[in-house]
Amino acid sequence: MSDWSKVTRPIPVPNEWTKPFWDAAKQEVLALQRCQSCGHLQHPPYPTCTQCMGIDLKFEPVEGKGKIYAYTIMYHTGDKRFAPAVPYASIIVELDAAPGALLAGNLLDAPYTEAKVGRPVEVVFQKLNDDITLPQFRLAR
Amino acid sequence: MWENRCKVAVSGVGFSKITRSADIPLAAHALEAVKAAVEDSGLKMSDIDGLATYPELPATGHAEIDGVTIVSVNCMMAMLRLPNLAWHIQTESVNIGGAVQQATNALLAGVCKYAVVWRAMHNPKGTYQNLPGQFASGAAQFTAPYGFGGPGQGMAVAYTRWLETNNQNREKMATLAVTQRKHAQMNPYAYFYGTPLTREDYLNSRMVAYPFCLYDCDIPVQGAVAIVLTLADRARDLKPKPAYIAGYGQRLHFEVAGRIGSLSSYMEGGRSSSHLTWERSGFTPKDVDVAQIYDGFSASVIYGLESYGFCKEGEALDFIQDGRIELDGELPLNTFGGSLSSGRIHGLQHIIEGVLQASGRAGERQVKGANVSFVGASAPIVQGTTFIFVGEPY
Ligand SMILES: [Zn+2]
Repeated sequence: MSDWSKVTRPIPVPNEWTKPFWDAAKQEVLALQRCQSCGHLQHPPYPTCTQCMGIDLKFEPVEGKGKIYAYTIMYHTGDKRFAPAVPYASIIVELDAAPGALLAGNLLDAPYTEAKVGRPVEVVFQKLNDDITLPQFRLAR
Repeated sequence: MWENRCKVAVSGVGFSKITRSADIPLAAHALEAVKAAVEDSGLKMSDIDGLATYPELPATGHAEIDGVTIVSVNCMMAMLRLPNLAWHIQTESVNIGGAVQQATNALLAGVCKYAVVWRAMHNPKGTYQNLPGQFASGAAQFTAPYGFGGPGQGMAVAYTRWLETNNQNREKMATLAVTQRKHAQMNPYAYFYGTPLTREDYLNSRMVAYPFCLYDCDIPVQGAVAIVLTLADRARDLKPKPAYIAGYGQRLHFEVAGRIGSLSSYMEGGRSSSHLTWERSGFTPKDVDVAQIYDGFSASVIYGLESYGFCKEGEALDFIQDGRIELDGELPLNTFGGSLSSGRIHGLQHIIEGVLQASGRAGERQVKGANVSFVGASAPIVQGTTFIFVGEPY
């Protein structure tokens, strides 16, 4: 199991496109951009809908269940802040509710060897400070 | 077919010394490569009237200092003081292949006669990829907090998807690393010239970002390479045998920054670029005599072979076995050693090797009878371009 307790993570800086995502995460809600023209859900946030180029986009809560789309196990300790957790799993999750939306995360509460493509995971929230809470993932229960 | 096929050719090519770290300013490497390419053509520097490059520094978190960590068009103009300069460009959306394509277009438009394209690559001292400091902004806000520190991990994720959805084994990749290293032993400009690699070395090497071990990653170096392009009629009057541009393409697929790991985006990028090149040149993958496919990370070769149409999806690691990619195989691949063995100077090395093979100038590593020479000049989705060079215009 990777030891995350000694890891200092870079703190995300929300911008005008991404602020609603982080505001929701702070409330322990996963919210993605939905195109009001075609209904497409996308992540990361973008100024236009990548499906229909619509510009009317609103953030909506989505269910935090998905599958590991891809992953890597990090062994390199070039970034000393993450060195205590090595080897650790960085994963990419495709949400069941939003095919094509890819969210990065770590696989928490499980040995890194449990990371496998297609394995069901669910969102958990990890508070970094008073402003930022990070969506993360663990194996689905 | 493209009405301008074989109307532009690459003439001279040039290399600088390649060193592991930055001992002299990058501008000196770029100048050395450009001078060598002009000399190889048999031209005088004052003949050069077009300049193009893609100056990006892929090492994140390091300052871009012109002449030291990048070499812009401005820097080259200042160094060369070309009396007849008539055209220049720096490309952005499709890496160095885009600079070669823009130079081709400028020549066809008649706005310059002899264009030089260079790629200079800096290797910073210390850690190559510096993660953001205390804060992660822009696209990194969705990746850096999870320890995604650079393209190694970014490329590794799609590779696990490829391996596991296709029920494949990463150990088969040893064949690529070992074969390319073998080719590099015939290329004095390769960083690993004189340093062979065995299958055991590959299998026993340390893991960097699974599934990538050390030998799945190209080696960061400091160096530069350059080419001279001109219209075919002029090229025939120059010193070397020309390599004619039969067709080219660029990725048409778009990816949102920060959306990493999408295998389908890699494939779509490669398909869209190669489709243009096949259609413009009139060739198909079966016609190709020799191929260079960008290999900043080994898995890029998989995505290239499959999305360009050399083999079916999911089969690339089997395709490269049994001698197929050796110099006398069905598809000799990365015959200069690739970036894995020559050093990280992005796709212009691949283009140069494609040129040398098409024009019969590859020396000891020349593929016998090679005419149709394919190049995938960068990872498909990350700014991919494709080319076909031929020795015999048609
Ligand atoms: Zn839409």
